Amino acid sequence: MRRVHFILAGIIAVVFCIGYFERPPKLEDFDPVRDAAFKDSWDRRIHLAYWEKWGSFERDACQAMVDAFNRSQDRIYVHYVNTSQVDRKAMLAIIGGTPPDVVGLWAQNVQPFASAGALLPLDSLMAKSGLSPERYTPQYLRIGTYDGRIYALPTTPASVALFYNRDHFKEKASELRAAGLDPERPPRTIEELDRYADVLTEFNPDGSPKRMGFLPTEPGWWNAEWGYYFGGSLYDKRTGRVTPDSSANIRAFLWLKRYAEKYGRDKLLRFRAGFGNFDSPNNAFIAGKVSMEIQGVWFPNFIRRHRPHMHFGVAPFPTARGVPGPRSFLDADVIAIPRGCRQIEAAWEFVRFAQGKGLEILCRLQGKHMPIKDPPPLFREGHPNLELAVFERVAASPYSFILPQLPVWQEYNDELGRAFDHIWDYPVPEKEIEGLSGPALDRKIAQYCRPEIVRTLGEVRKTIQHKLDLKRERDRLRRRRFGAVSRSRTGPPPEVPGTTE
Amino acid sequence: MRASVRKSLTGYSFVLPWLIALGLFIGFPFLGGFYFSFCDFPPLKTPMFIGLDNYAQLLHDPVFHRSLGVTLIYGAAAIPLGVLLALTLALLLNTRIRGQALYRVIFFLPHLVPTVVTALLWLWIFNPDYGLLNLFLGKLMHGVDVWTGLFFDLEAAARGRILPVRWSAMLAAGPVAALLAFGPWLRSELTKRAGLFRLVRFAAALSCTLAVLPVLYVVMVRFMPGDMRKLHSPGWLSDASPFPAAVPFAPSWALWGIVVMSMWGVGQMAVIYLAKLQDVPIQLYEAADIDGATWIQKTRHITLPLISPVILFNVVMAIIGTFQVFTEPYIMTRGGPEDKTRFVALFIYDQAFQYQNVGYAAAVAWVLFLVIVGLTLLAFRLSRRHVYYAGR
Repeated sequence: MRRVHFILAGIIAVVFCIGYFERPPKLEDFDPVRDAAFKDSWDRRIHLAYWEKWGSFERDACQAMVDAFNRSQDRIYVHYVNTSQVDRKAMLAIIGGTPPDVVGLWAQNVQPFASAGALLPLDSLMAKSGLSPERYTPQYLRIGTYDGRIYALPTTPASVALFYNRDHFKEKASELRAAGLDPERPPRTIEELDRYADVLTEFNPDGSPKRMGFLPTEPGWWNAEWGYYFGGSLYDKRTGRVTPDSSANIRAFLWLKRYAEKYGRDKLLRFRAGFGNFDSPNNAFIAGKVSMEIQGVWFPNFIRRHRPHMHFGVAPFPTARGVPGPRSFLDADVIAIPRGCRQIEAAWEFVRFAQGKGLEILCRLQGKHMPIKDPPPLFREGHPNLELAVFERVAASPYSFILPQLPVWQEYNDELGRAFDHIWDYPVPEKEIEGLSGPALDRKIAQYCRPEIVRTLGEVRKTIQHKLDLKRERDRLRRRRFGAVSRSRTGPPPEVPGTTE
Repeated sequence: MRASVRKSLTGYSFVLPWLIALGLFIGFPFLGGFYFSFCDFPPLKTPMFIGLDNYAQLLHDPVFHRSLGVTLIYGAAAIPLGVLLALTLALLLNTRIRGQALYRVIFFLPHLVPTVVTALLWLWIFNPDYGLLNLFLGKLMHGVDVWTGLFFDLEAAARGRILPVRWSAMLAAGPVAALLAFGPWLRSELTKRAGLFRLVRFAAALSCTLAVLPVLYVVMVRFMPGDMRKLHSPGWLSDASPFPAAVPFAPSWALWGIVVMSMWGVGQMAVIYLAKLQDVPIQLYEAADIDGATWIQKTRHITLPLISPVILFNVVMAIIGTFQVFTEPYIMTRGGPEDKTRFVALFIYDQAFQYQNVGYAAAVAWVLFLVIVGLTLLAFRLSRRHVYYAGR
């Protein structure tokens, strides 16, 4: 070999070493202005990477929470790494053996991550530091629970309610009164909601809607979950079977279909095409194109941003007559420690903070309520979300629901979305419903569409149940073949401080 | 060491970096994917061998069947349209006109725009209410309505009866105009030289077109009233209904949207045609001119046979491209409405990254690979009789 070969081999070795042996992070590598305050303790601190989502003011809220933690002690420094598609990136990082120390995931990630042993169970850590599960609103805690153990804790919760445009109600006060409805309050049942919607809707001369009283497909994020407001659910825990074609779900789909036919599918399609993005002044509700809408706890932030003086009200979303309420779809972003984390104790200290003082900062700055039963006394003082009480009420309701925690939830949701599209577009002959209105129209639509709805939802049930059974069967097989869950690709479970005591 | 051996060793060592990368980044995933297609493999867990289960599942998966159908329908619509459009464009760009280079650049430019940007741009163009496309389409269809309304009662036609009204006698002008424009005296010296006669010919051709148009349109309204009504302002990407509704396996409006959008990128194909067009020996055209061949005859008998290998190349590339369509539906429709734009590539992505069925996704990818190989071989087989290689 000639000298040049030695030089080349040397360069490769150096590059390898630089890549392999991690050097400690230097202050200059990060935001020098933000981090200047930590100059003295920088080298002494344990540095943690916290991968979390968020953008815009919600990112600022998260940063404020992390900053507060960094200032609160001088042992640990958390770097908030703003990450898009955080679940996929975290998954690959965990497989690759270089996970972040703390990760913020979505509710639907908990099941696949936890079942694969990719997250650390937190029960013992919680018990050790006196963080009681009793403290949380049960539904939110359940989101992070898998197989009876807690793998993730809620950070920012979501709940939904009915937003209504008070100006539109005022405008149509006399018509509402004439229809026997009270313009001073929002509807309390779905039947009432339909009647309000009827009065509030305005048409163009060509018969296309100019303004819709209520449009169930706006924003269209929870098209599959309407059945819950009719007293149904998508999964029966007792039997372990999915129930998309339960009578309540069929009723919900019929209700949706009535909107499609009553106002015209093609006309609604064009009407909806005129809506702008969610986060824009052309948002259908903000622009006044829709008078009532189902939206989440975050929505007042966006209304304030785009139309600060909008005159709107919020109330629990109505349920069908006879169905107890209030009920709301509940969701939460969660925080977890991935398996393979090298600084478990420090990571837990941060999570612990993020569940205490940090949670208060985060929820307040993001304009949301807290996922716990008794928020600190000062939390509500001067809270930016003036409708906080409504959301706290629906979140605390025992009738509020979270999505079924199934390994096939994504597929289930997509399949329901397809079923929704299909039923919404399912043609009812124009001749049949021409000139009909009120209950006669409803009966005709039901007569035409019910069999198709039953068939479509039945197919969804068969497909998803088959997939669910297959997944369960394969998991059983996997357990038999490879042993317990922890024997996954991510290596044996690390020593969890607290369990060894 | 023998000189020849040393020589080959040196050669191999030069291509070694490439070979390593090929093996590592293409060969390994390729074969790895083949193995994983026989496994149950959620990415966070150990792959578990399950034999042919994934392939068996494929046979009964309605979503996969739909996505394969969408991809094939898209190919059947977009490939011929794209090839035709690119060829027409290339023939036009091949004429000797002023500013030719500029035109070439203009038509090639869209190809340089990243797909993501194009998709976001077309999302606006396709907006049913504010989009540019519907604005023009609406105006155009309105014009056609008004013009046809002069001769026929469109509402009656939509109900199934074609009734001529007031001006229908004018329609008789159509055949006369056609005779004037394309009659046997077409080739006489007179029409070739005199300016006035050329003007008359042009006017006659125009009135012939204007006379044929309402007849065609009213027939279309008679047989597909719903489609024609929708054509005034289609819902494009959010509309799952097929167009034309009466044709089995017709693409949905949403899929037509993606087909129309794909035409935006034919510039690249056109440039390849153009390169080959300029390679056609000029003597052949000269000889044809001497024999008195028309432009159409020259195109049919000289140009097309000589550029046929390039047509084959473009068709094969288009077939492969069809099975790789991902960005457009991912950004514009996410596979909806009703799976009408769920291309196979999107299906694979969803299986692997949304549903965490990497093994199943690998099986689909392998089936897709075999389908592409099969279709490409078919294209070569079918082309054997029609492609002319000057070298052989």
